[in-house]
Amino acid sequence: MATPVKSGEKVDAVIVGAGASGSVFAATLAKAGKKVVLLETGPDWQLSDLISSDIWGRRIKAAGAPFLLEGKNPFGYSYQSGWGVGGAALHYFANFPRLLPTDFKMKSEHDRGLDWPISYQDVARHYDKVAQDVGVSGDAKAEEIWRPAGKPYPMPPMKTFRNGELWVTACAEHGIRLLPACVGMNSTEYKGRPACIYDGWCHVGCPIGALSNPIVTYLGEARRAGAEVRARSTVTRVLMNKEGTKAIGVEYYDAARQRHTQPASVVVLAAWSAQNPRLLLNSATPKQPKGLANASGLVGKYIMCHFASGTWALFDEDVQNHLGTTGAQFMSYDRYPKTSHKGAFGSTFIVAGSALKTSDLGGFANARLDLFGPDLHAFMKRAARGLTRLNAFGEELPNIENRVELATEKDEFGMPLGRIVHSFDEDAAGVWNANFEEGLKIAKATGAKEVWSGRGAMPTIHLMGGTIMGTRASSSVVNSYGQTHEIANLWIAGPGIFPTAGASNPTYTIFALSLRGAEQLAAKWGSIV
Amino acid sequence: MVGRRDFMRGAALGALAFTIGGAQVLLTPREARARGVPFRLLQAREAETLEAMGETLVPGARDAGVAHFIDQQISVPPEEALLEARILNVRPPYADFYKAAIGAIDKAAAAQSDQRFAWLPADAQREFVNLMRQNKLQGWQGPPSGFVYFVLRSDAVDVVYGTVEGYEALGIPYQAHIMPLKRW
Repeated sequence: MATPVKSGEKVDAVIVGAGASGSVFAATLAKAGKKVVLLETGPDWQLSDLISSDIWGRRIKAAGAPFLLEGKNPFGYSYQSGWGVGGAALHYFANFPRLLPTDFKMKSEHDRGLDWPISYQDVARHYDKVAQDVGVSGDAKAEEIWRPAGKPYPMPPMKTFRNGELWVTACAEHGIRLLPACVGMNSTEYKGRPACIYDGWCHVGCPIGALSNPIVTYLGEARRAGAEVRARSTVTRVLMNKEGTKAIGVEYYDAARQRHTQPASVVVLAAWSAQNPRLLLNSATPKQPKGLANASGLVGKYIMCHFASGTWALFDEDVQNHLGTTGAQFMSYDRYPKTSHKGAFGSTFIVAGSALKTSDLGGFANARLDLFGPDLHAFMKRAARGLTRLNAFGEELPNIENRVELATEKDEFGMPLGRIVHSFDEDAAGVWNANFEEGLKIAKATGAKEVWSGRGAMPTIHLMGGTIMGTRASSSVVNSYGQTHEIANLWIAGPGIFPTAGASNPTYTIFALSLRGAEQLAAKWGSIV
Repeated sequence: MVGRRDFMRGAALGALAFTIGGAQVLLTPREARARGVPFRLLQAREAETLEAMGETLVPGARDAGVAHFIDQQISVPPEEALLEARILNVRPPYADFYKAAIGAIDKAAAAQSDQRFAWLPADAQREFVNLMRQNKLQGWQGPPSGFVYFVLRSDAVDVVYGTVEGYEALGIPYQAHIMPLKRW
């Protein structure tokens, strides 16, 4: 027997996903007077749910319908994704490097990858605005050695500790300048939120709000402006009018598995780079048999991620590695030019100094995966005070073969599971290896007792692409604001619209692009709905 | 019934909800083992294998309750699970993975020495694990042995080093749970 469908009252905008990008759209539209509903598949977490524990921190990682993970380098979906309000930005490290001008012009400058339809300058104002909105600590003036000038950050750089400082001279000896990392955290009290206390639990969620997760920034603003957050609401389809010209809302299931429809004038998909394509593909109609906004066949294509080359250095001295933040104390763009490494292509972004914990994927028990038994215990005793790491993040180029597609197997709501097919190419492997080689040289220059490369399976970090932006419907899914080329009132938000990945942590750019898109949507509302 | 306030307090200490005599009580896995709390899903011999494997991977894991930790975690809904398997893309139900892993361990041990893993001498257990982590065990039938090594090692690390007591034993401050000053 078919489940009866409950239809909600029509709203101006329904936003699918209450993470980084959805929160920005919700805040911007709600403050513009729009009636907004956010549908979030996971729980409505509160700050008090964010227990400082690697074990308990797994509650805010992916749950629900799994993605099937295939390819030579299957994407590590669960560790990267979020579950509940705040999304992945509830457990992100809040490193806030931006993309650089070269990222927007890769095709033009190097005849590789893709160009963005906009330049750095089109986003620069939004980077500056986001910094003020959420609170960023760093030294913007110093960063001008790598990027165009912008506004100062609202807070000075964070404190540094021995585990970060000892990399500065060693990097300089190899031509790498380390500057204070710019982070979405409070070095001082900001907007009523306290300063960071450097306890290193950022990655399981900051319960005091010193780190700018969406709960304490844009999602909070959205709620105060009247946006409704409906947690435990799993969207399965975008609904279209009979003509196939306009989105009219979404279908979703609540926690009791009751099916609903939520009519809306505008639909914004903000459910991350994997789920957005899954929804578009599952929303096929007779008018759009390949899925929505997919006349080009590019929905789900050009999935990209980052990879990291971690180099460990073990000291006999106490390097205060229990202090700091999970992300970074120092950063460098000195290997960011795409041709920095001979024989490989792609940017590298370097960070140094992070607080270490014992367990979980990033814990120092995993710094020597070959050890077990008494040997592991002996290592843990030494590493507890003496271990530190330099990390180099690398850029993966857009490759149309890396994709999200629908599988035949279905979830509990009858929606086909998504499949992520992902493999690194030779350029990525080349950058990864080159960064290990250089990292080892730098680590030796620190005077550490032991140094080694943290090699294992090539890691997959962050997720971008899948609904890329461009100028034409034939070669992209959305325009530079996230509006789909084919359906004016269907928008995509988040890293899925990136046509190239850069090597910078993506969330600052996600916030900036979302702000740019949301402001455009609000400004052009009358011509869109 | 365990209330939310008790749950939050217990969570900060590493306690989980175990069932004793039909009632739910908050205990750490170490306490659950010490009190002989019955397993929910694991058979006794499966728990014995897990304890022996955990102890080989991380000294102290047996007494820290690695088998009770895993047993309790595979019995709760996947979205509540705190296992590292969750973030390693192991597909729920997690009990399927653990039972397959345990079966593979004991079959491979039997193929090598006609004994279950738990009954092997300690040096033979270490040699077994060393081959297991490198995917070099003969007669292995189940999830890739290197992956099983990684998951079970992570579980053992969790119960031994991932707790407040574990940090204390290593001589590093846990910098315990930050209580929110207010909600935004």
